[in-house]
Amino acid sequence: MTAGAIPISGRAWAAALLWGLAARLAVLMLVVLAVFILPRLLPGDPLGVMLSSDYTQNLSEAELAELRARMGLAGGWAEQFGAWLSDLLRGDLGYSATHARPVATLIGESLPWTLFLILGAMPVYLVLAALAGTGAGRAAGGRFDRGLTGFVTVLASIPPFVTAVLLMLGLAILWPVFPASGALPMFPSDRPMIRTGQIALHAILPVTALALHEFARFYYLARGEAAVLAHRPFVLNAVARGLPPRRLLAEYYGRNILPIFVARLSDSVSGLVSAVVIIEIVFSYPGIGGLIYGAILDRDYTLLQGTTIAVAAGLLALNWLIDAAGTALAGRG
Amino acid sequence: MRVLFGLAAGLLLLLAAQPLMPAYRSSRDVLAPPGRGHLLGTNDIGQDVLTGLLHATPNTVLMALAAAAVATATALIIAGVAAAASATIRNMILRLVDAVQVVPSILVLLFLGTLMQPGLAGLALLLGLTSWHEDVRVALAMLRRELQRENVRFARHMGASRTYCLRRHVMPAIRPALAALYIQNIRQVTLRAAGLAFLGLTDPRLLTWGGMMQDAMDYLYTPAWLWLLLPPALALTSFLLIMLLLTENDPAEARA
Repeated sequence: MTAGAIPISGRAWAAALLWGLAARLAVLMLVVLAVFILPRLLPGDPLGVMLSSDYTQNLSEAELAELRARMGLAGGWAEQFGAWLSDLLRGDLGYSATHARPVATLIGESLPWTLFLILGAMPVYLVLAALAGTGAGRAAGGRFDRGLTGFVTVLASIPPFVTAVLLMLGLAILWPVFPASGALPMFPSDRPMIRTGQIALHAILPVTALALHEFARFYYLARGEAAVLAHRPFVLNAVARGLPPRRLLAEYYGRNILPIFVARLSDSVSGLVSAVVIIEIVFSYPGIGGLIYGAILDRDYTLLQGTTIAVAAGLLALNWLIDAAGTALAGRG
Repeated sequence: MRVLFGLAAGLLLLLAAQPLMPAYRSSRDVLAPPGRGHLLGTNDIGQDVLTGLLHATPNTVLMALAAAAVATATALIIAGVAAAASATIRNMILRLVDAVQVVPSILVLLFLGTLMQPGLAGLALLLGLTSWHEDVRVALAMLRRELQRENVRFARHMGASRTYCLRRHVMPAIRPALAALYIQNIRQVTLRAAGLAFLGLTDPRLLTWGGMMQDAMDYLYTPAWLWLLLPPALALTSFLLIMLLLTENDPAEARA
């Protein structure tokens, strides 16, 4: 977020931190409330949906009542909400009927795959965007700049799922060099080396799609900054001194672009998560996005609720930490 | 802005002319490649792809225009409240907005889309109400800058009412920047709506470019992707590109 107000004292910093925490808790509470109330406003209840779709027909009244109680649908709304909230506070996100496992376990299994994709794509698009953006911005208006910026403008207009589908079509179906879906082959190898290779191979297309999507944002950022830097006296002086190009790039441009990238990174997390969810769905990747989509297809509301809340809570906490670190750094000068 | 009005008018005409257009109905020519009878081929139940594109255009674009209007208006109203409030309340509002921004809108959209499968109006409202938070800070900065200018202070001093000042001094000054925000919102909303439709979370009867792409996904392993997937994808991308170029060429660019 913005590092606009630079706190002077430790007390001001602590106050800002607490306010930030309060705001995020309020938003989390809103998410929790919405996730609880909205499904209940619809005609029927999750149990009705479950019974009408398939699963178990011919249940006796007693069995229905027990199922209802297990899904947290017994009693009035206030009672249900109280029970649900106290479960949430204890870290119990509910039990997924379709997977026959606790929601928290399912999230714990999917999260590493999503993080793997994000952490795989991040260095790729950050480094490429920094290099390409600096190259274009240094000679803004030149042929390289016009060509590349035009290309990036088109790239920025392709929705992430279109990029993903086209990549899949081109490199997995028409010219099948990469696997089209999943994170592992149907029968993964037992040997760790081969297994690692298989995981990497499966991750290449989703990582590329994600990196392409995020590339444009950081490209524009680096290009704008480099265009300004190119006219600053210390850079002009360095060029006139005949500084080796590599040092100029790393020490003069790189060092100035880095803090802007870091600041933007914390802003871009929410967009990144949106993109990764949709890309995982296209590639049937077993991450959080795939988990959510599975829950949607199976009408597994408990899983959908639990995942939504867990992801929102995780991101809010992460953002709070980044914010606190950012203000602490800014305060140090 | 004029371009947008032209666009909206054209689309309304297209919508009004829809009864005149060939109906989007199924036929025996299933998965026919592009040719004489069907310029862009047909889909799996024999519907003409070109007709589908034409029918989907007003749905997709008008929905985006409406949703972006809802988003921009919401942002402006909240910014207005924050501008009028005391510093403490303003800080509270801004902190809340910042925190709202952290929650990816796709989470909310997926959840609501699953529950409701929204149609045209529902989709516009849903997307509008989940895309305003990025604009509040920008709108607030604009409003406060304009409210503190001497023309407004002078008019207030001479006894002009608040509404008069808003209407005659503030609104004209921020209109170009608002237009830029509006166009940015159109892009955002189009992307999200297409994503939702692509995942099959909108009303299945609502024909949109994203929905057409979803239908094409089953035919990736056959040659039919060529005329089922590419036309809606190209339409979507070129629309987004045009919107991007509109913001970039706007002289009153508000990259705030």
